[in-house]
Amino acid sequence: MADDPSLNKMRPAAQPGGVSPFARGPAPRPSGAADAHASAIPPGATVRPSPFASRAPSHAPQAAPGPTAPTAAPTTGSRHVMFRGSGASLFGIHVVNALLILATLGVYYFWAKVRVRNYLWSESEFEGDRFAYHGTGRELIIGFAKAALFFFLPATLLNMLPELLGASAVVIVATRTLVSILAAVFIPLAIVGARRYRLSRTSWRGIRFSLRASTGEFAKLWIRGWLLIPLTLGLYYPSFIVNQHRFLTNHSWFGSERFSFDGRGRDLLPAWFGAVLLFVPTLGLSWFWFAARRQRYYAEHTRVAGARFRSTVTAPKLAWLTISTWVGLICTVGLAWPWLTVRRMRRTFEWLSLDGPLALDSITQQAQQVNATGEGLAGFFDADLGFT
Amino acid sequence: MRLDWDAAYLDGRTAARRRATVRITRTGLDVALADGGARFFWPFREVRQTQGTYAGEQVRLERGGELPEVLLIGDIGFLSAARAMAPDAGHLHDPAHRRFRVGLTFGALVTAVALALGIYFVGIPAFAQVAAARVPVSWEESLGASIVEHFAPPSRRCDDPVRQARIDAIVSQLAAKAQPQPYTFRVTVVNSPIVNAVAAPGGNIIVFRGLLERTETAEELAGVLAHEVEHVLHRHVTRAIFQHASTGILMAALVGDVSSVVAYGLEGARTLGDLQMSRGAESEADREGVRLLQAAGIDTAGMITFFEKLSARERGGDIVPRYLRTHPTTAERIATLRTLAAAAARPERRLLPDDEWDSVKNLCGELPTPTRSTRR
Repeated sequence: MADDPSLNKMRPAAQPGGVSPFARGPAPRPSGAADAHASAIPPGATVRPSPFASRAPSHAPQAAPGPTAPTAAPTTGSRHVMFRGSGASLFGIHVVNALLILATLGVYYFWAKVRVRNYLWSESEFEGDRFAYHGTGRELIIGFAKAALFFFLPATLLNMLPELLGASAVVIVATRTLVSILAAVFIPLAIVGARRYRLSRTSWRGIRFSLRASTGEFAKLWIRGWLLIPLTLGLYYPSFIVNQHRFLTNHSWFGSERFSFDGRGRDLLPAWFGAVLLFVPTLGLSWFWFAARRQRYYAEHTRVAGARFRSTVTAPKLAWLTISTWVGLICTVGLAWPWLTVRRMRRTFEWLSLDGPLALDSITQQAQQVNATGEGLAGFFDADLGFT
Repeated sequence: MRLDWDAAYLDGRTAARRRATVRITRTGLDVALADGGARFFWPFREVRQTQGTYAGEQVRLERGGELPEVLLIGDIGFLSAARAMAPDAGHLHDPAHRRFRVGLTFGALVTAVALALGIYFVGIPAFAQVAAARVPVSWEESLGASIVEHFAPPSRRCDDPVRQARIDAIVSQLAAKAQPQPYTFRVTVVNSPIVNAVAAPGGNIIVFRGLLERTETAEELAGVLAHEVEHVLHRHVTRAIFQHASTGILMAALVGDVSSVVAYGLEGARTLGDLQMSRGAESEADREGVRLLQAAGIDTAGMITFFEKLSARERGGDIVPRYLRTHPTTAERIATLRTLAAAAARPERRLLPDDEWDSVKNLCGELPTPTRSTRR
């Protein structure tokens, strides 16, 4: 078992380019509405009792971990993460959160986030076991404070002070450039940090996920990408996103088991090129086509514990889910968020499966020390919303 | 009472799930693993419950530090049984409490709505006023400078020092009566047909050519300037910035993490709020503007006449309702102005003879263009 337990502060996992298969799979993504990943709608799921209604005991052993599941030999077949939560419960959580956030002038925000994640993770079930979220509001607020202190505050001051002090145009341009460079360096830190934090705070069957990656290496990959994209007139873009994805996936672990991704950017080049060409004539809809293709590709090239992911997402499904979610949010000024999030998680999980023999028994705990500064950073970049 | 419950056990070291039987005792849980027959005891004091408070969730009990051992019990009847049996199990979730929780949540909903309304209608305006009053004038000036840069880039300014001096004289006359105040007022005339004037924070007033050309006397412009000067003195724009930002934060608190997408939907509500606030500010600027004119010995009839002209235009469906849209209805304003104006005697002296004003108002060197006339 493992190194030390971990825990410190938090960070959001932001993926740059979209949903990583890994994230889709085993680790449900938290918070925001936005990227839930998901899986099959359990056949019985629609009949779920209202969360509030429960009178007492016993109606619920549905997902019970009960002593039933055998753990021996690798199981085969097609497995889904199932989302069991209900919009009404999530709405209840949301209402109480909103009240406490208002009453504490915003301080409760971090604990609110934890409550929502706790719920979303706890309602995500794979092979009869629920995921669990282990982050705390304290970690999140410390991460936020650090990110504010080391990044947001200096950047804001650099941005505004010269002008307020009436500095010359040269100074203003110089400081703005400095801020842009600062942001360019901090975004990859935020991506890795957030993901590292979230994975480290996620467990399934008591085993923690982790991201064991060097932040510096990811930053190099990121900066090189942004230099190469203009130089290649954009053609490097698919390789860029796939490289990021490969990096993040190949450094993701479930206990002692590593995820692996063997995709190559050039495989996505034709789809990407087509989507770009058709972007204007299709009013942007071609992007869904590319995004669906990318999700399928990411899934098919990702393996863990002997099994391989597979995605059945298609462009119409993805476009419908995304657009209807947006419209729903806008029309209800956000009030429908809990229901839309639940719907989104269900669909997303439904599209993704893990196929083939899955050898879980040899997996052992290997947790990592992680703090939440990256999660705090990602908050500033709004990196929570990878609505791809 | 049922004491033995089926459970699954996770050891926190491997991903294997093992069947177990849990027996509730007065002080803790007796756990027996199905295979191998290992037995152990979990005192309730050391047990935390992390799942099982919502319908459909299994009960998850943890024991140990960062990487705990876990017991999963599918039937939440276990919780009621444990609470009934063991005095130490009071910290476990009570399923009977769920109904009560619905009520609490509903109470929270009502309270949250009331609190939000209170913050929106009382808290934020008060905060914006206090905060705006504390912004250093130099910051307002820098902010104003960038606004001027936006509306009136140097290439579009009408520059005629001689005629400009006439306008500056009017502002000085007004500012002199508003002492003590920290601002240096400056008027910039922009070559644009828009019928509008803008008060940037810090004392910069931007007058668009369209508005200037529509004035027939110096007093009419003085009325507009007095209004804008009051905006500056009351820091209306600075206050609006605080208000806008705080409203954004309030909405984020209510709507949660949804950010950018919903932001579009909320923008409408926010704009309505801004307009509301803006109407309050306009009335204030009108009222105080009239007083300022009177203090400076300028005939307030000019201001009223000019607003009437705008009002006629408004009815005519002109496409520039911008100056008005953010303002109270013009009829209302004119009525208020008349009441205020009636209270004081009209000064005898004119600011400028009309023919001289004709020259000043064509500061931009253009006579009304044909396009403009047709529009009218």
